[in-house]
Amino acid sequence: MSGLFLLGIEWSKLRRSKIVWILVAAAIILWVPSVLNAHLNFQMQAEGISPENNFFIQGFMGLAWFLFPASIVVSTVLLTQIERGNGGILKMLTLPVDPRKLCLGKFTVLLSLSAFQMIISTGVYFISGAIASQTQNYDLLLGPAPVLRMAGVIWLTAIPMAAFFWMLSVCVKAPVFSMGIGLASIVPSVLMINTKAWFLYPMCYPFYAVTVEYGKLAENTSCGKIALVPWIPVAVLFTGACLIIACLCFGKAERS
Amino acid sequence: MNMIETHDLTKNYGDFQAVFKVNLHVPKGGVYGFVGPNGAGKSTTMKMLLGLTPPTEGTFSINGKTYPKARQEILRSTGSFIEAPAFYGNLTGEENLELIRRILKLPKSSVAEALELVGLAPFGKRLAKKYSLGMKQRLGLAGALLGRPPLLILDEPTNGLDPAGIHEVRELIRSLPKQLDCTVLVSSHLLSEIQLMADHIGILDRGKLLFEGTMEELKTYAASMGYPADNLEDTFLALVHQAEEGGRRK
Amino acid sequence: MALEFTKIKRTGLLPAFLCGGLLASMIPVLNMAVRSEAYVNLSQPPLDILLDGNWQTMAMLNLLLAVIGACLVYHTEFADNAMEKMRTLPIGEGRMFLGKTLVLACMCIVVLIIETAALATCGAIWFESGDIVWPDLMRNAGCMLLLLLPAVILSLLVASLCENMWISFGIGVLGVFIATMMPSENFALSLFPFALHFHVLGEKTAELGVGAAVEILALVAAGAVIQKIRRRF
Repeated sequence: MSGLFLLGIEWSKLRRSKIVWILVAAAIILWVPSVLNAHLNFQMQAEGISPENNFFIQGFMGLAWFLFPASIVVSTVLLTQIERGNGGILKMLTLPVDPRKLCLGKFTVLLSLSAFQMIISTGVYFISGAIASQTQNYDLLLGPAPVLRMAGVIWLTAIPMAAFFWMLSVCVKAPVFSMGIGLASIVPSVLMINTKAWFLYPMCYPFYAVTVEYGKLAENTSCGKIALVPWIPVAVLFTGACLIIACLCFGKAERS
Repeated sequence: MNMIETHDLTKNYGDFQAVFKVNLHVPKGGVYGFVGPNGAGKSTTMKMLLGLTPPTEGTFSINGKTYPKARQEILRSTGSFIEAPAFYGNLTGEENLELIRRILKLPKSSVAEALELVGLAPFGKRLAKKYSLGMKQRLGLAGALLGRPPLLILDEPTNGLDPAGIHEVRELIRSLPKQLDCTVLVSSHLLSEIQLMADHIGILDRGKLLFEGTMEELKTYAASMGYPADNLEDTFLALVHQAEEGGRRK
Repeated sequence: MALEFTKIKRTGLLPAFLCGGLLASMIPVLNMAVRSEAYVNLSQPPLDILLDGNWQTMAMLNLLLAVIGACLVYHTEFADNAMEKMRTLPIGEGRMFLGKTLVLACMCIVVLIIETAALATCGAIWFESGDIVWPDLMRNAGCMLLLLLPAVILSLLVASLCENMWISFGIGVLGVFIATMMPSENFALSLFPFALHFHVLGEKTAELGVGAAVEILALVAAGAVIQKIRRRF
């Protein structure tokens, strides 16, 4: 059974779940303050960053630091509750599908939901940027290339974190704890990006990537650099370990 | 040839023996009734057959294929209905079946056919969580019948149905072997109900198989043991009672 | 209310709040342990220094904890249709809402006590002993409770209206996020229930306290009324 096929199955389970609206609301909430406070973008001389770059990077920073990780946690709650709510998972386990593939299929849905959120957020960036440009009489919009690249980077660097949250929601039966540990693990990423060992903490990857970008755009600030080694090997190992544990745990409670 | 064969199938939960050395022989074609009081281990046995819980000991084969080697093949050829209704509440009845249909790779028409078979056709577009208990039960049954599998495992399919519904489902199950050319393993805690549907029966009590054979054999067996044989409910009670006494004497 | 306390058994709510409180307490302790030299020589009173340095993160954890708690207490009602049963019993849903509010309020008190103890410990270890006075600490904890409750009650209200936990959870998380984006100078905006808790004691405390008290009363009343009306739909 191909992965794409299972992905289609999993997507159809999301009908009427209203998750799409939550993600759209998140994207709008992210950019509304930026539009309202657009004048602040012109007071960044100390950092040496241009208004258009500041408008762009501040929004994406808010997204990468909290909103995007938290949305992934919300999505994991959705995915597990849909299965457990009315015992749907029990039916799935009696069908000829490999539970491990089912688990990976659902993880892929999680990634596609987060990709959807990135696309929506990027879309709302262009709209709100256009509005802010009107109100400030200054072109605050960047071209699509750097924006899409940033969105792609955030999404890619969030994969290890998504794998961690997915493992939590599969293995930790009590929803309080899977939600609680997930959200609580986001908060310390502010502290972690300032340390040399940031690559050991996957929850701060997207935020770190954006701050590095900020450092490049703002002339008067210094920010870390992204060294691919040992970061990439650590990230790959971490993601793999989380997914393997999740697959082993998947449906275990229903099968004991 | 037997559709299902189990060899010393055993399931322990801690020190509690849910199922103990059960040897089932479910012949191909026909309805096999699995009777026993609540908590006798019927559901556990059925869950083991579906791979929902691993046996502590023993093996079983379905249609000549052994578990767990042929898990996927077994599940592909088995339609199942497990105790509590298992479905996705945010989807309609039709969408729930559609999901199963796609996984089983069946033709599109099979969903409508299954809905028709259980009498849910007029309610296919309603959300499954809005269904009444009986309708949820029927939805589960439709999910089992989908694609006319050669083996049906139904755990207490008449639970929660009204008398008319019970009668309907009973007739449906009775007619399935001929209609769909399949074998049905159906459980119930009422012997009187099984009597009306099954050709073969197995009686399970506290994890042990007390009797296995045809209805006629049960009557002969009861007569030979001196149990009341004219009323099957009495036979059943006497059998269970006897087993309990035996258990206490040990 | 005793009823509501039995309902949270084995849901992991109490351990979660204890863990959350301990986690939030770790923040000032760790912060002082790692970079105490950045703080000890400041001229402000020790409590202000500690709060300035750590309260934003601690408040965020408290708020997230409140959101999760609210989602969970109503999730146990909806998950196995316990709600239906409750509706057939002679207790009002408004009463139930009040009961749940009190349960969560008690949990928050536990959390704030743990955090206050942590702040006191930091004061005792890293600052001249006696610099942090108990009355100040208690006043701070009391105010923080007052400023946290509107968020708790609003989350509960949302959770009671959404049968699906991810929706109430999502809305709560968005609420916390909005609060983090708000400029704190704007008084009207800082009255947003999720934003109140981020404020440390200062000039505006009295006004904020009054605002919070009004919000608490309004939200509780709204909650009780909504629970009653909902039955008719």
